[in-house]
Amino acid sequence: MRRALIPHKGYGIGDDWVFYLLILIMLSPLLVMSTASAESGKNTQPIQIPNPSADLWREVRQRDAIAVGNSQVKSADSGVLINPYGDKWRNFRMTQLIPYGGYLLAGMLLLLIIFFIVRGRIKVVSGMSDKKLFRYSLYERTIHWCLAAIFLFLAFTGLILLFGRSLLIPIVGQEFFSLLASASKEGHNLFGPLFAVALVLVFFRFVRRNIYQKGDLTWLLKGGGLIGKGHVPSNFFNMGEKSMFWMLVLVGGVIVGSGLVLVFPVFGQGRVLMELSHVSHGITTLVMIVVIMGHIYIGSVGMEGALDGMTTGYCDLNWAKEHHEQWAELCEEQNEVIMEDEVSRLQGDTKANSMPSSLTQETGQ
Amino acid sequence: MIGELIDGPLWYFAFGVFVLGVIYRIISILRAGLKKDFSRPRAEGSAGALRTLFSRFIPRRDVATRGRLTVIAGYLFHLGLFALLIFAQPHVTFFSERITGFSWPALPYWAFIVSAELAFIGLLLLWLHRVLHPVTRLLSSIDDYVGIGLVFLVMLTGCLALAQAFEPLRLLHLFLAELLLIYFPFSNLMHAFTFAFSRAYTGATMARKGVNA
Repeated sequence: MRRALIPHKGYGIGDDWVFYLLILIMLSPLLVMSTASAESGKNTQPIQIPNPSADLWREVRQRDAIAVGNSQVKSADSGVLINPYGDKWRNFRMTQLIPYGGYLLAGMLLLLIIFFIVRGRIKVVSGMSDKKLFRYSLYERTIHWCLAAIFLFLAFTGLILLFGRSLLIPIVGQEFFSLLASASKEGHNLFGPLFAVALVLVFFRFVRRNIYQKGDLTWLLKGGGLIGKGHVPSNFFNMGEKSMFWMLVLVGGVIVGSGLVLVFPVFGQGRVLMELSHVSHGITTLVMIVVIMGHIYIGSVGMEGALDGMTTGYCDLNWAKEHHEQWAELCEEQNEVIMEDEVSRLQGDTKANSMPSSLTQETGQ
Repeated sequence: MIGELIDGPLWYFAFGVFVLGVIYRIISILRAGLKKDFSRPRAEGSAGALRTLFSRFIPRRDVATRGRLTVIAGYLFHLGLFALLIFAQPHVTFFSERITGFSWPALPYWAFIVSAELAFIGLLLLWLHRVLHPVTRLLSSIDDYVGIGLVFLVMLTGCLALAQAFEPLRLLHLFLAELLLIYFPFSNLMHAFTFAFSRAYTGATMARKGVNA
């Protein structure tokens, strides 16, 4: 080979020095470097030899997009070695969803406390009367409280799963938290589908009365009576209640859909879809919890007489006139006003010799 | 220590109280006897008893209409609970190891979950109906609420322990089940056994009187 490259044909023996000189010139820098290296051997770093499989693993890691390979296992994502979105999902959960979700819940709680301190309990201005209006049937109250109980359980267990690592481990320790988290997960998964059932029942029962009507926008523009002193007329449900109903249905639909994707991972859904479902489930449930906190506030300490309709089925006439004036007027026109004594008999507060005919209303028939 | 107590002596004590208590209650009912009926029977009492025992599983039309919620919720709860109690895999294993010595086919996991869902929604609706309806609220006593509460807690802790990874959760479930077993014979929960006697008695009496009831 060398002969071919450097033919010496035509050169005499005496010409060989040219070849050796050329070799010496070419190797001289290397000789200098190796000498210098040997002299400063203790101070230099080891020679960086690139990992020959680095490119392979970089390809496997797939930071930019998912590459699907072939596998004998035929199931969702079986051809994907590493899902790069998993890291993004984890980062989003840890650095954004949990802290901002916590701020959102704490902020809402603080807002309600401040609102209560500033505005106080909204009283029935004309005072509670001795007359009642039938507002919710037994069936309506039952499905409402059924949905409420399931929602509270799911919210409680869901918050343990979301914030427990940050908030509970420092208090209860890792061992107890692992037990609590396992129990919460099982309970959350079990009661999740029941929320869907209760939501469907509530939707079909209340949808007709929650269709927006003329005058709803006026109610909204006047702040629904929460701000200021004036009464804002509304129908059976006001704009706020209707909006909460539709939020419950639409956001609740997203919660149910994403929850079912997570609970039943047997329908071929891949990791990316489940990560998206988890993100949407987390965000929408936090929004729902915040709205429901407001709903609970108004229904309990925030407004006098608001809870009666959903506990006894009857509301005070004056309360109805101040908050649902159009509906109250309609009830009065149709002679549906009931005296408190009769309601008390229905509730079993006093001994009644005969059962009033309006008991049929109580049973929701 | 507590775990050993719950898993051992307390279990045998609770089971013993349950068995002896139920036998005692049933014998008490049978020993109370019936007032002698001197009238000539219009139909065979035993046939009426047998007919009513099964016919009452189907509610009368007016009851099915007016009390649709309680009928549906009642069936959901009782069927779901029965499936959970008898055919859940952990229960089959437990019964075969502790009581029967043999096992039987268990529900698949999905059917177990469906049964639990049905039982929970049924129990929740029944409890809400009891609290919200003025008549059932008046008729209810503390016994009813304790019974419902215990059954609910037993079911809930059982489901929370579904992962079967934490012994304390299993022990909590077992402990509540033991409390339920001890409470059972002395409460309205005895209707699980006495419903047959009351239906048969009503059916036999009405048949002898010639009443279609």
